[in-house]
Amino acid sequence: MTESTLFTIAFALYAAALAVYFASLFARREGRAGAGLALAVLGLCAHTAALVLRTVASGHAPFTNMYESLSFLSWAIVLALVIFGRRPRASRLGPYLMLIVVALVALASSPLMPKDAMPLVPALQSYWLWLHVSVTLLGEAFFAVAFVASLLYLAADTDEKRERFDALAYRAVAVGFPLFTLGGLVFGMVWAYRAWGRYWGWDPKEVWSLITWFVFALYLHTRIVMGWKGRRSAWIAIAGFLAALFTYFGVNYLLAGLHSYI
Amino acid sequence: MRSVWRFFSSVRLAIVLIILITLASIVGTLIPQGRGAAQYAARYGGLAGPLAALQLTNLYRSGWYLALLLLLAVNILVCTVSRLGPKRRRAFGPAPGTEAEAVAAMRPGARLRLPHPLAAAKDRIVAELEGQRYRLAESAKDGKIRILARKRRLGWFGSDIVHLGLLVIIAGGVASGLLGRRADLALIEGRTAAVPHASFAVRLDAFETEYYPGGAVKDWKSTVTVVEGGAPVLTRVVEVNHPLTYRGVSFYQQRYGWDWSGARLVLELRTPGGQAPGRTISLKAGETVEVGSTDVTRIAVRRFVPDFVIGDGNRVQSRSNAPDNPAALVEAWKGEERVFAGWVFAKFPDFGQGHGAGPGGKPGEGPGGSKLSVALKDYAAAPFSVLEAASDPGANLIWLGCALVMAGLFLAFYWPPREIRVVLEEAAGRVELAAGGHAPKSREAFRSEFEAIIETIRRPA
Repeated sequence: MTESTLFTIAFALYAAALAVYFASLFARREGRAGAGLALAVLGLCAHTAALVLRTVASGHAPFTNMYESLSFLSWAIVLALVIFGRRPRASRLGPYLMLIVVALVALASSPLMPKDAMPLVPALQSYWLWLHVSVTLLGEAFFAVAFVASLLYLAADTDEKRERFDALAYRAVAVGFPLFTLGGLVFGMVWAYRAWGRYWGWDPKEVWSLITWFVFALYLHTRIVMGWKGRRSAWIAIAGFLAALFTYFGVNYLLAGLHSYI
Repeated sequence: MRSVWRFFSSVRLAIVLIILITLASIVGTLIPQGRGAAQYAARYGGLAGPLAALQLTNLYRSGWYLALLLLLAVNILVCTVSRLGPKRRRAFGPAPGTEAEAVAAMRPGARLRLPHPLAAAKDRIVAELEGQRYRLAESAKDGKIRILARKRRLGWFGSDIVHLGLLVIIAGGVASGLLGRRADLALIEGRTAAVPHASFAVRLDAFETEYYPGGAVKDWKSTVTVVEGGAPVLTRVVEVNHPLTYRGVSFYQQRYGWDWSGARLVLELRTPGGQAPGRTISLKAGETVEVGSTDVTRIAVRRFVPDFVIGDGNRVQSRSNAPDNPAALVEAWKGEERVFAGWVFAKFPDFGQGHGAGPGGKPGEGPGGSKLSVALKDYAAAPFSVLEAASDPGANLIWLGCALVMAGLFLAFYWPPREIRVVLEEAAGRVELAAGGHAPKSREAFRSEFEAIIETIRRPA
């Protein structure tokens, strides 16, 4: 099977998972959410195989253009969903995270995104490409979990649910923040130092990573030291994910900089 | 002094500073940074002046932005130091003389009676807590035994280690700003250039560009020799992502190009009715050479550009340094009579000839209708490679700071400290036990551990 067939299969399985999730949501049958998760896991398997095939065929890490990195980000979000959404207490995450995944995969599949694997430009020929991009995108996937949990918090109707979603968002940030710090900032600085001779150059992508980091630092400080929880915490986590999304997407299309590879 | 300390020890200040720095950083990404004044005038019109005055066009190096970062650094330092004392006591200090009532009121907390003598009860509890990897401190006073059991004590300091790491990173940034040096060395093959502020020089032995089969650039490789005291010391290939470091100076492949000022060109001359191929002439850009033929006696290349484009004001410019559209401005004479004048293009041989014929005194027209045609057959120039020589004494501090930040984050999130206090008192042949626990970062997991410990102690031996 080719990479694009597997990718299409993964897309179909994700779409099926999304449909099952929402069906269970509207039918108020919690049991069927398990079927949604199972479909998501199957999709993840097909998606993993597609990424592996692409890596083998192109000979480089599968995140060197927008199509590849969108594919990898959606893969990472499904992985985060499988890690976080297994517990029944977190089953509500499924439908909305899957909605984000299907949107990202659809965007990746759109004709706007060139899908050909291009040979690597000299600046990207480094194992730091693997370390920097994969760890950063994994961190951003957990920010997506925190984002969905925070939205669920704002929409929740009972205190029990609110407490549950608030704790869930915090746990997702507790995973995403160290990953993003390591992949986005630390590995990014190390690679920049090796490739460009400086670890920090106030490139828009660098600055937006720092902004994202600051927003989540704000989340942690207001929460731990000043006891902010709930509503305000949820809004900060939402702002943090949007900043991460802008770092990933917006900077490429709206701001010019050195990170113009993808 | 005290009020200054109190001001800087506030987390609210940290939050205000983080918000201000975030907003300022966003502004800096919306306004292009470090461009020329003309660009800002064209883009922002009358606003360009105020933008420059507020240093918004060089925001990240402006005094006020750096001052915000400095305030945050002082804030982090004072916040961390002022909270360190209580934390240190909590983690490593002696057991406080808490009363049984207060201990049992902790959450989680427990009270029970044990049917053992005091010493036996203590041994049992100590064995159980040590089995759970707690570190114990005991004290006996007034017939009461107090046990303070702690584990993962470093976990209390996770945020402090992150903060220390951030301070080290800021210090590294300051060191880089003050002591870091960088200079571009443009080297033509075979030439040697002294490295600024260093006791050695570098020579470019060779420069080559590698291509993928499709034509895209695969790599740029500069073979560089370090020359010290006139003698070669080592030879390395420098490529993107693979710098060479020697005596604290790192050399990065930065740019490359060709030195077109002395480009060697090959022209082909053909006269109408002359046989093909015509006569070839090698000369350098800017040179005039005698040809000594009956049709052409002298030929000159007035100018050469590697990437011909008509720019502003109809002036000929080179769009880039790469030979994407090489063109030469050629003049040729037969005696005193100019028989050719015009641009000839390596990639468009016919286009140049359009200027070779026609009425009137335009360039390229030979009076008397002698249709000389000139073609640019070949061009070559010495490639040069631009290496950036950088020494950055701050970089090692940055890596140290990063390691501290990551270690601190791990401790803060995944090494939650736990504390159990036990007070034992003998009363009427039995032992009254009060126990309480404290683990603010892992309440759920700690509660089950605490309950399991109490259950084990309660069970008959």
